Amino acid sequence: MPDVYNWQLGRPMTYRFREAHPKWQFAAVFNINRCIACQTCTMACKSTWTFSEGQEHMWWNNVETKPYGGYPHHWDVNTLKLLDKADPGGQKWDGRTATPAAPYGQFTGKTIFEAAAALGKTDEAIGYLPTDDEWTAPNIFEDTPRNRRESELQATSLPEHRTWFFYLQRICNHCTYPACLAACPRNAIYKRPEDGIVLIDEQRCRGYRKCVEQCPYKKPMFRSTTRVSEKCIACYPRIEGTDPISEGEPMETRCMSACVGKIRLQGLIEVGADGRWAVNPDNPLYYMVREEQVALPLYPQFGTEPNIYYIPPRWVPRPYLHQMFGPGADAAIERYAAPSRRLQAVLQLFRTTQRIVHRFEVVNGHKIGEMNVAGKTMELFNDTVVGFDRNGKEIVRQSVMEPLHDRGPKYLNTI
Amino acid sequence: MMSRRVPSRGFAAGLAIVLAAAVVAATTGFLGVMPASSQAQVVQVRAAPSVPRDDPFAAFWNNVQPVDVALSAQNITRPMGGGTVAAVQLRAAHDGKRLYILSEWSDATQDAAIDTTTSFTDAAAVEFPAAGTTRIPSFCMGDPGAGVNIWHWKAAWQRDVDSGFATNRARYANMQVDLYPQDGDTTFQTGLAAGNPLSAQKHGSPVENLVAAQFGTLTNADVQDVGGVGRWKDGRWRVLFVRSLAGAEGSPSFAPGGKTNAAFAVWNGSDGQRDGIKSVSQFVDLQISGEKIVRKPSSFAPAIIAFAGIVGGLAVIAVFGVFAERRKRV
Ligand code: SF4
Ligand code: SF4
Ligand code: SF4
Repeated sequence: MPDVYNWQLGRPMTYRFREAHPKWQFAAVFNINRCIACQTCTMACKSTWTFSEGQEHMWWNNVETKPYGGYPHHWDVNTLKLLDKADPGGQKWDGRTATPAAPYGQFTGKTIFEAAAALGKTDEAIGYLPTDDEWTAPNIFEDTPRNRRESELQATSLPEHRTWFFYLQRICNHCTYPACLAACPRNAIYKRPEDGIVLIDEQRCRGYRKCVEQCPYKKPMFRSTTRVSEKCIACYPRIEGTDPISEGEPMETRCMSACVGKIRLQGLIEVGADGRWAVNPDNPLYYMVREEQVALPLYPQFGTEPNIYYIPPRWVPRPYLHQMFGPGADAAIERYAAPSRRLQAVLQLFRTTQRIVHRFEVVNGHKIGEMNVAGKTMELFNDTVVGFDRNGKEIVRQSVMEPLHDRGPKYLNTI
Repeated sequence: MMSRRVPSRGFAAGLAIVLAAAVVAATTGFLGVMPASSQAQVVQVRAAPSVPRDDPFAAFWNNVQPVDVALSAQNITRPMGGGTVAAVQLRAAHDGKRLYILSEWSDATQDAAIDTTTSFTDAAAVEFPAAGTTRIPSFCMGDPGAGVNIWHWKAAWQRDVDSGFATNRARYANMQVDLYPQDGDTTFQTGLAAGNPLSAQKHGSPVENLVAAQFGTLTNADVQDVGGVGRWKDGRWRVLFVRSLAGAEGSPSFAPGGKTNAAFAVWNGSDGQRDGIKSVSQFVDLQISGEKIVRKPSSFAPAIIAFAGIVGGLAVIAVFGVFAERRKRV
């Protein structure tokens, strides 16, 4: 089996196919700190793609309460357990070796592909098929915190809350090395060379459910009315600019553009011929993921190189975050809690336009205040971030300070 | 436009198949499992004036000598597995127009639903070299130079044919849904809209006609002309495959006096078996002859004769007795 380079693990790993990368990669940053679990994203997807018979259990986008919630139930714990069985005590990172090609250091444990080999499995990856029960109650354990008994409650204070939960927003990660694609014996799953979107060929699928079994994120789902599997399609007509309202320009997906909490920013990352991300610090996603490293992949140790990146929740005990986002979690929180001037400006881009922002610029503004963050003074500036589309056309302009409109006494108590 | 990433094909793949086949042959030999070899096993296809098409358990088949063909797990390509059914018992016949193949095996459960993420259907298949092949293809789904034709019976399709297409609504009868917007518009039954034969809700037959020329290339054939029926009784499946001896264009055709290779496979749905996870044979010979199937004398005949004799004897005694009685009275 060939070796491919997984930058999130900082090392090569085995995969069924040799490296072949798309020109652009669908990617997004989700800021967990801001999510209010309104499920507008969930319903945006449902009402666009999965409202028909046979799709009752399908939530291509779901938002679950961690640590207990999960859809399907316990999907992550189940996979982590299988990994632990394949590599007892060995699922570790060597964070000392961080380099630009290995920004989180090196993962020395086993991926889902390597674990299958270690367990002597004849499958591409470890996995399991969730039962119907596990696909029910998609928001099970909603708002259920850890340490919720009265004896365990304490006044909350940063950096880590003792009683805590957070919302995890999940869609298909349109992985660089998709396990679903590797698992399909018919090659009915493909990754598009133009945008890296991973799709199931609905005509060739024979309903074997190997993708459902081996996707560690459990995002392909089986449909009993068509007897084949379906998954998130990254709203590809919008990415292609073929959705009528996109006027030919790439547009963010339904779940992204509907986000009420303004937690999501989605775009396309340019990928070089060698598979590395083309250096582009003026692309907001590149900037947050690779430059600031404030957004991290979900369970990178699974080894699929997922392309949805998360700004980890500030208040959550770090060991939990290390397990979920790898060793980059501490630095990411530090940078998010006291953002640089540039990051502060880029964070304003979230949900200001449905168009995909390919490039941004920051126009400096005046100082508006100072804050104390973890004993350090942080200055705040009213900078303005300007977003441009792929043709260089300005599509959005947003300042750090929200513009203030005074309605005046004449309009008091009027609507 | 969209394109697929596929494994490299051609020479390397062919070589891999040959090597894999050699490995399997060596391993099964080592384990003492005697796979069905085309030299050793012949399934005779004899003629009969008519063959019952609807009932695989029809008494007709008692006249046909069964042949046990050994099955083993599919261990050549991923996903691997199966091997839970040790053998299929085969019978075959023709009526001058159609070929009938009856495959029988034991299975404690009937798995005919594909209505949840974890439910898989029982199934059986027969594989032949594709039409026009000049050499024997790899028995493992054929190879790029020599393809195969596969007849695939599914218990789920049998259920569709017998009692209509079933979804999870049958299992969860109390499922409550406010409404399905655009209900009835097949655009949103994606597999169906894409023309996937697996998503079709009506089947002319429980047997799907397929072609393949390497692992991963299995494709629904242009002509769906294989009929059949499968029934389960007392822990055994019997599946009858029926097709005209002269196949449609592009399909292999059979004729009395001819010989073809055939391989067999079965899947146990409740074991999660599907695709390559199956119990599979190697090629055996199907010898299609003009010879007639000889009807065995009915096994009831001696009993009937004995019974008739007893009844007859008793009648004679009774008549005799009546006459004797009358005489006394006179
Ligand atoms: S998240 Fe799962 S379904 Fe999506 S690309 Fe990755 S492996 Fe495939
Ligand atoms: S990207 Fe589109 S298809 Fe995928 S989860 Fe979001 S709304 Fe659904
Ligand atoms: S719409 Fe945004 S804020 Fe609401 S649940 Fe989804 S991700 Fe969270």
